[in-house]
Amino acid sequence: MTLLDFARGPALQWSVTIFIVGVLWRLLGVFLLRTRKDLSEPRKPAAWKGLKLIALRSWPRREFLEGTAFGEVMGYAFHVGFLMALFFFAPHVLFFADISRGLLGTDLRGLVGFGWPTLPNGIITLVSAVSVAALVAVLIHRFVNPVKRLISNFDDYFSWFVTIAPLVTGMVAFSHLAGWPYERLLAVHLLSVELLLVWFPFGKLMHAFTIFAARGATGMIFERRGASL
Amino acid sequence: MTETTHTRRPEPLEFDKPRVSIAKPEYRFDMQGEMPEAERVERAMKSFVKDFGRTAAIYMESCIHCGMCAEACHFYEVTKDPKYTPIWKLEPFKQAYKREYGPFAVIYRALNLKRRVTVEELQEWQQLIYDSCTVCGRCSLMCPMGIDIATLVSQARHGMFNAGLIPHELWAVTERARLEGSPLGATPKVFKDRLEWLADDHEVEIPVDKADADVLCTMSSIEIMKYPDSVVATARIMNHLGVNWTFRLDGYEATNFGLLAGNAAAQKQLTMKLIDAAVACGAKTLILPECGHAYTALRWMGANMYGEPLPFRVLHIAEFLAEQVHEGKLRLKKVPKSVTFHDPCQVVRRGGAIEAPRDVLKALGVELREMHPTKGTNWCCGGGGGVVANHRADDLRYKVFRIKMEQIEKTQAELPVTTCANCRQTFDDGQAHFKWDVKMHSLLELVADNLIEDER
Amino acid sequence: MSSPTLGQFLRARGVTRREFLRFCTATASAMGLSASLAPRIAAALEQARRPSVIWLPFQECTGCTESITRAHGATIESLIFEAISLDYQHTLQAAAGDAAESARARAMQENFGEYLLIVDGSIPTGNPGYSTIAGHDNLSMLEEAAKGAAAIVALGTCAAFGGIPHANPNPTGAVAVSDVVRNKPIINISGCPPIPVVITGVLAQYLTFGKVPELDALGRPIAYYGQTIHDRCYRRPFYERGQFAESFDDEGARRGWCLYKLGCKGPVTYNACATVKWNNGTSFPIEAGHGCIGCSEPDFWDKGGFYQPLSTGNWGTAKTVGTAIGVGAALGIASAALARRRQKAAEGS
Repeated sequence: MTLLDFARGPALQWSVTIFIVGVLWRLLGVFLLRTRKDLSEPRKPAAWKGLKLIALRSWPRREFLEGTAFGEVMGYAFHVGFLMALFFFAPHVLFFADISRGLLGTDLRGLVGFGWPTLPNGIITLVSAVSVAALVAVLIHRFVNPVKRLISNFDDYFSWFVTIAPLVTGMVAFSHLAGWPYERLLAVHLLSVELLLVWFPFGKLMHAFTIFAARGATGMIFERRGASL
Repeated sequence: MTETTHTRRPEPLEFDKPRVSIAKPEYRFDMQGEMPEAERVERAMKSFVKDFGRTAAIYMESCIHCGMCAEACHFYEVTKDPKYTPIWKLEPFKQAYKREYGPFAVIYRALNLKRRVTVEELQEWQQLIYDSCTVCGRCSLMCPMGIDIATLVSQARHGMFNAGLIPHELWAVTERARLEGSPLGATPKVFKDRLEWLADDHEVEIPVDKADADVLCTMSSIEIMKYPDSVVATARIMNHLGVNWTFRLDGYEATNFGLLAGNAAAQKQLTMKLIDAAVACGAKTLILPECGHAYTALRWMGANMYGEPLPFRVLHIAEFLAEQVHEGKLRLKKVPKSVTFHDPCQVVRRGGAIEAPRDVLKALGVELREMHPTKGTNWCCGGGGGVVANHRADDLRYKVFRIKMEQIEKTQAELPVTTCANCRQTFDDGQAHFKWDVKMHSLLELVADNLIEDER
Repeated sequence: MSSPTLGQFLRARGVTRREFLRFCTATASAMGLSASLAPRIAAALEQARRPSVIWLPFQECTGCTESITRAHGATIESLIFEAISLDYQHTLQAAAGDAAESARARAMQENFGEYLLIVDGSIPTGNPGYSTIAGHDNLSMLEEAAKGAAAIVALGTCAAFGGIPHANPNPTGAVAVSDVVRNKPIINISGCPPIPVVITGVLAQYLTFGKVPELDALGRPIAYYGQTIHDRCYRRPFYERGQFAESFDDEGARRGWCLYKLGCKGPVTYNACATVKWNNGTSFPIEAGHGCIGCSEPDFWDKGGFYQPLSTGNWGTAKTVGTAIGVGAALGIASAALARRRQKAAEGS
């Protein structure tokens, strides 16, 4: 079995399986913990309106912006670039369509009549480069900023690594970097994605899910009290 | 419960300083009870396990170490010391959560991926949790993940208390409160005496221990011992409104050092006194005084302590006054002064009574000059959460106070006003320290001083 | 009887010197050698004795033989092929039965240590009865023939890597030549089938230089297997620009766009199809509108489907996903239950 066969075969199957198992384990293991009903009289009984905090916290209040703008901008630059490359690069769309067909029996075209759009390769390359640059910038910031340096641990650095690796290896593979056998570049890229999948449930990357839970919980508690969101 | 080993009688209080507290101790005992270190840690861990529910767990899982909470914290703002990063205050508890209670706890323990918390760590963290946190909630407002860090700090304090690792002063005053009914010497007897001479001196009727009343009023020890005019003001306003109200000697102390110290049993005991007193006199409304954490303790935590919805409304005095303003019952003279309002964190940002004080100020016809930032994002005075009672934290608190001075100076307002006696005494103490020529005023007293009384 | 040299043989067949030199030049360039070497190739081939070649067919479909002998008209290639003393080849030989077998035995004996052994088809290691020649199983026949071979050409993907019979579940226990023979030089000319001119080019190089050409990690001559189809594909600009055929005979397909989405394995397949092409340079699969199936690579049958794009993989099935969900949920419920129990215990004490 070649490295590429391994990456497209057992490595992919196991990493997807571990991802699903880990994510559910962690989410349910938290969501099924004890919760106590709040018996206080609410100021605003429609606590569900507090879910708007999920959107509100997407940008800091003006008063807090001075010290946080850099982190926010870099964070968005990374996330937007990453997600664009992940979901709108043609070979990736094929990957997801294949899964969709396997699980739902159809891809998007079968469901709504038009396929998932793809972005031109030039744009994908650009946003990937921006994403990588943003990641490098935040890593430097994490080393240099005393607050982040103090509170950072293995999770922060390893999660950074498993996030940048697919971006970098993807760009290298796509560029068919001279002198390197393409099938190996592709295999390394796939393996880096599989590493990301395996690590995902166990580190801070889970914030992709918990962000909704945490913001939502606080939103509802605070809204009920009429407290500042 | 651990018994004190270092004092057999309550610590002496001092009232002649700008803020009331126990006198600055010659020797601090920031560790309570005699027990082996392992047991301290064990008790702390057990406490965390008891406290952590789904919401706390979600928060513990969500931190992405962005460090932005530091940008919102006044202690970090004035020192730029990263150890004051709010979420860092929870570090041992985060470890404990992951090791003892989280979904992967079994893995963490089996592979020893998170060390057991040590006593040394807990001791180090005492200062972070008690000296450099006022539970003001600015960090909770900033966090991009929406983590309510302030509430987690309060919960962490339970563990510290159970481990016998709370600051000297907090332990001392909480013991007083538990044993005497007041943290600062305002025992029922003292309170009764005070009410008598206040009623006499100011020629105001102050009902005590009525069997039936619509409104139960409560006070904070700070007001009873240091700002007695607030007691008079309360009485004046209630009488002006013609309310059927009373004080009750079996439930008048609104402060809750149990909450501040992390002593859950004491917190409940102190809360239940107020609730029982209100039930005893059939009150439909319980009014909390100008105090911050008192509001949090009863308005938002009281029913949960009680085990069922409270059979009466709970209002901060500022909310009560605002209601009366809206209903046209409070007749006020106009005060032609420029005013800036300091938002007490627990009442405004955390408590939700954001506009009530402003409605009252509007009714007083003042020129309201908001400081910047204001309302939900206003800076904390630096004295809440028990910090002003803690002598060890003085230097840090004075540094933080500079922020408030600058804010107020910028407005050039004649009259800074607030509606929390703890903020007020923090301002008094800061004013004395910096020899600042600006004095903080009480909204309650401002209202009482400007009532349009009928000529009878 | 001394057999004529190759040069004599060709002249006797009416091949002009010019035609012969043109062939040698083409061969030189196909091997990636300088055209200045053409005279040397010519000189070597001219003097070459027609070496003895034994061709053993094992578990094969005869496609490799078909490929090589596909009539390109009376081209140089086929003449060269005939210029080798092909002493044993089932499809092409006239003899059969004992006559054929004894001819083989005699050729192997007379040319011991010098004959070139060509093998096509895989070798079954399961029941020896799966594939036999004159009652002899393939495995022992190969072992015996390898003893006296100067070199072995594993012709086609079956001989080079196991090919179709080796595909999952490999019921015959098929293996490649290189799995059986360890002590002789082996040239893997893979492809299903290989391109005719690749075979003759490799043979020509062997005849010219008397040694095995430079091989890649899989034993294939770098001259023909040194680059991927993708590297030389004329549709590459469309890949770069992201213009793909979405289905067979759609507009993109008709415009000759890249076939990546239709499962083309060009990027990971090493062969000369995109340059040398098939049928004397007529076309190759991609040019005909079908993606490369990667037939010169090991296990190309088991890479997940010819029409599965390279960027897809074996992520599982609805069942494996469902099982994972179930396991994850169970673990989550269990850990929450455990935590709740610890909480109750802590509260009790």
